[in-house]
Amino acid sequence: MKTAQEMKPNSVILIDGQPWMVQKAEFTKSGRNSAIVKMKLKNLLSGSTTETVYKTDDKVEPVILERIAVTYSYVAESIYVFMDEEYNQYELNEEDIESVLPYIVDGMSDICEAVFFEGKVISVDLPTMVVRQITYTEGSARGDTSGKVMKPAKLSNGTEIKVADFCEIDDWIEIDTRTGEYKSRAKAPV
Amino acid sequence: MRTSWDIFCHVIDNYGDAGVCWRLARQLAEEYDAEVRLWVDDPETLARLSGISPTGISSYAPRQIGRVWVHYWSPEWREVVPADVVVEAFGCQLPLKYLAAMAARSVPPLWLNLEYLSAEDWVAGCHGLPSLQQNGLQKYFFFPGFSTNTGGLLRETNLLQRRSAFQQNDRAKAQFLSTIGVDEIADSTLVSLFCYENPALTQWLDAICEGQRRYHFLVPVGRVVGDVCRWLGREAFELGERYQRGSVCIQFIPFLSQPDYDLLLWSCDFNVVRGEDSFVRAQWAARPFLWHIYPQQEGAHFVKLDAFLRCYNEGLSAGAKTATISSWLAWNTGVLPADMKDRLFVGGADLVGHSEDWAAYLEGQNNLAESLVQFYQNWV
Repeated sequence: MKTAQEMKPNSVILIDGQPWMVQKAEFTKSGRNSAIVKMKLKNLLSGSTTETVYKTDDKVEPVILERIAVTYSYVAESIYVFMDEEYNQYELNEEDIESVLPYIVDGMSDICEAVFFEGKVISVDLPTMVVRQITYTEGSARGDTSGKVMKPAKLSNGTEIKVADFCEIDDWIEIDTRTGEYKSRAKAPV
Repeated sequence: MRTSWDIFCHVIDNYGDAGVCWRLARQLAEEYDAEVRLWVDDPETLARLSGISPTGISSYAPRQIGRVWVHYWSPEWREVVPADVVVEAFGCQLPLKYLAAMAARSVPPLWLNLEYLSAEDWVAGCHGLPSLQQNGLQKYFFFPGFSTNTGGLLRETNLLQRRSAFQQNDRAKAQFLSTIGVDEIADSTLVSLFCYENPALTQWLDAICEGQRRYHFLVPVGRVVGDVCRWLGREAFELGERYQRGSVCIQFIPFLSQPDYDLLLWSCDFNVVRGEDSFVRAQWAARPFLWHIYPQQEGAHFVKLDAFLRCYNEGLSAGAKTATISSWLAWNTGVLPADMKDRLFVGGADLVGHSEDWAAYLEGQNNLAESLVQFYQNWV
């Protein structure tokens, strides 16, 4: 067991048999009140999220989830298939990978991680940064080169994202998968 | 069917912990027809607040005071069937055997952690949130507060009406004061003084005793008595005796039960209060007051003080706002600047009206007991 204050974003805790991932943890200590940690948790089985509060010294049960490196293979009838280096296939429903769906594109070569709980694959994590190609965006309106002016753009899978004004169709860009934010222009993946 | 409540109170120090729990227990029992057991580990403190003999609640045998069953929370826990609602006050740790009994109940109880009062912004974001448990129990954090998105403040039904009626009735006031051995002195400002030890007190008394304005201080027996005696140059005092120094008359009075303390606050022109329970009651008294906040290491209490002042000062004129902030900060740092010593009592017309407006504003919110009952009803 660990204390609640030791839990950080991406830690996973077991509550009544369910794995919950800590998405956010805010520590507060004020006056005579108990020092508390307010957390945003995501249930890794149902995908539901909740906010919860613990005293910092409350005991929680951390879980180390098994992870295996996989790559995206294909999608068929809303079932997404990933494969490890031994060609084992792992199938996930669309709702299991909702948070990474915007970055799943055909032909992607990113090394992802399949996440297992009690021997069953429950989700997939993408690398923090992925490189994707813009399939549509308007031309630069103001000739801005600073990267501070943003405009909408579409990826090949239809995902919309704000990109720097100087980005153009067919450009490759780097995206932070934690926030969904455009980071920079990038070279095409080899 | 009546709802049963267990309130657990671990007295850390002073009277605030027991004071809040006792007041809540009484209100739940008397106004919401709840079956209430109050578990307290310091019977003596509770006895002083409720005006009964501590020996009556220091054994295993519970004692009924009014409609509340008061139990001594002994270190050796005796197994009992948990109530429908369990309140752990101020983060106290429930007995492990009791927790196991909660989990074993056919319908697990609602488990609430009632926290201390604070006006800080984060409170509203944490009020009412669950604290997910391993054992199937449902626990929630419950925060009192000064806004509608918190649990509110303890306020008995018709409290403000009773207060208004009392404050408009000079005879009732004189009658109450006589029961505690006080005759009001004509043309004096009547001040109640209930605070922690504070070096600023003697600086204040030094300054005002040389002024024209006359003050009559009523000092319930408590922690500040030593400071006051030293200022008077006395080693001991007699209850009820008046001690005069310059323009200041000091009178020590007995420690009062909660209902009598309310009457004292309602009677005075200015109240010096401390901690949590007397601080809230001073606000219902609708008279200007000065808060000696519970001091904490590294000045952590100043954040809380500042948060309260920010909401309390809404609507005050700029001058009154500045005066309130500077006097409260000075009082709580224990050092009064020279130009403030005779101005600590900020009881001008602005503050008198504002105190009434503030109490009326707070009355617009749910009271804490009502919020708890509603929370339980929604949870069920």
